[in-house]
Amino acid sequence: MAGFRSPVGALAEPVAPSQVRARRRLPRYAAGYVFVAPVLLYLLTTAVYPILNVVAMSVRDVAAGRWYFVGFAHYRQVLQDPVFWNAFRNTAIFTVASTAAHLLLGMAFALLLHEVWFSRALRNVTRGALILPWVFSTAAAGLMWSLLYHPFGLINYLAVGVFGRAQPFEFLGDARIALASVIAVNVWKSYPFYMVAILGELQAIPADLFDAAKVDGAGGVQRFWYVTLPQLRGVLIAISTLDVILTFGHVDLINILTRGGPGRATETVAFHVYRTALLDGNLAKGSAISTIMLVVLTLFCWMYLRILARRGSESW
Amino acid sequence: MVVAPPPLRRIRYGVHQGFIVGISVASAALLLVPVVWMVGAGLRPIREILSYPPTLLPKALTFQYFERILANPTYRHYFLNSAVLALATLGLALVLGSLAAYGFSRYKFPGNKAMLMGILALLMLPRVTLIVPYFHLAHVVGLYDTLLGLIIVNTAFLLPTSTWLLKGYFDSLPEELEEAAMVDGCIRAQALWKIVLPLAVPGLIGVGTFVFIGSWNEYLLAVVLSETPRAQTLTVGLAAFFGQYVRDWNGIMALSTLASLPLVAIFVFLQRWVVQGLSSGAIK
Repeated sequence: MAGFRSPVGALAEPVAPSQVRARRRLPRYAAGYVFVAPVLLYLLTTAVYPILNVVAMSVRDVAAGRWYFVGFAHYRQVLQDPVFWNAFRNTAIFTVASTAAHLLLGMAFALLLHEVWFSRALRNVTRGALILPWVFSTAAAGLMWSLLYHPFGLINYLAVGVFGRAQPFEFLGDARIALASVIAVNVWKSYPFYMVAILGELQAIPADLFDAAKVDGAGGVQRFWYVTLPQLRGVLIAISTLDVILTFGHVDLINILTRGGPGRATETVAFHVYRTALLDGNLAKGSAISTIMLVVLTLFCWMYLRILARRGSESW
Repeated sequence: MVVAPPPLRRIRYGVHQGFIVGISVASAALLLVPVVWMVGAGLRPIREILSYPPTLLPKALTFQYFERILANPTYRHYFLNSAVLALATLGLALVLGSLAAYGFSRYKFPGNKAMLMGILALLMLPRVTLIVPYFHLAHVVGLYDTLLGLIIVNTAFLLPTSTWLLKGYFDSLPEELEEAAMVDGCIRAQALWKIVLPLAVPGLIGVGTFVFIGSWNEYLLAVVLSETPRAQTLTVGLAAFFGQYVRDWNGIMALSTLASLPLVAIFVFLQRWVVQGLSSGAIK
């Protein structure tokens, strides 16, 4: 039976030259897919799918264990809720104040560390000490600060015992100052990240620029204003955008320090999600607030990517 | 003839330097007060914690609070959970992250830019936006209140960072080294394993420290995905302790000191690489 070839036999036979070429035509870069596939699959299942899931849950509701479609009812409910807008306002204050303080502190310490010190070792130790707050967990940071904030704690000892204030501050219990108190802890915890980023960029500024400015007779302030700051502009814009994105979604500290209280004075949108979905058990409404967060974040993210692209990041 | 300028300059320079050093050291000391206070509170007897006037260092030292924490099996279990979570995440993030970083760094394939952008976008995704699906899905697939579930989702949030930072690091290593190895008969994967990874050790240490610190400190996912000490980590234990025994400042501070100790130790030893990782150009 010369006309019949079993498929098995075909495999055993020598491969025709044209087939070899076809195999080799598999592009060289195909191996790249093999390397990146595990991470892509991982992120598709553990991040991208849950994102789609949260959006899908936000337009549905659950009763007796079954989910059914309700359209935008939850969104309407959330957007008409003054509690949401209160949280939105708190988030705006929290984010703007934290970001501004991170940049100022980060910038100040980066400039100080960038100066010439008489002892390199002392500078390294100081740098390490200044980075240290970043190492502690938000839980530990929250606890250290609640001891300092205690009515009989260190700060109130200074306020009452040394500066003669009539009554101790209720840092976390007074609605007027609770948000500011939480922001202070957040600033303490996160400024090192920005300090290190700015320091890295400072060290990359070519020294000739400063020498040229010095020759032209520019003083320290002028050199900062006309040389350092323009050189740092790119990184400052990039990290403050990143900081806004990261601070916007922050919830740990608030859960540990105040649980959104007193009242709802420190409730941010992120904590509002946590409270609605987990503490009140309203998963669908929590999904709607999460989805609103995702939309806002996508806008920030897009801005950030635009900034990175314009900076011409060498990575891509 | 006036010959003063050089020494005069040096003296003025010295004052300027002294000012900069003084301000920096003073600020660093001031910013570490919360830490000193925490450690001190774990070491001093209860009557000294909120005493007037407070003293920076404990007058009477006691280790009873530390001993009490260490003797408690629940807290030892929290430590174990935190360690398992941090190490498992570290392993996953470094192995998968290195593979992807290598692929992105050495091959230009259709869609690579879009994938990188997608990963960068995930890097900025806050955990809180996904707690609802995680809570829901963990129940559905039976991973609620398990350490494995926590490891899986925690890795999802640290993998984008590790991939990005490692890609930046691999980009800085010349490709000629692997080409030479492949001329000698290695295949790609061998070149990665034998040539690139050993050279990338500083980068791996930096990224690994970053991942380890991030996992050890993970709080929100652990709170959302656990309800018994079986899957709870130190951060959750700390927060729960705080809520439950509000007046036991010694115990809370001893526990937070113990919880922070591994990270401070790691940081002190690996500071150089952490700083490198933090200031790496990849995310700014």
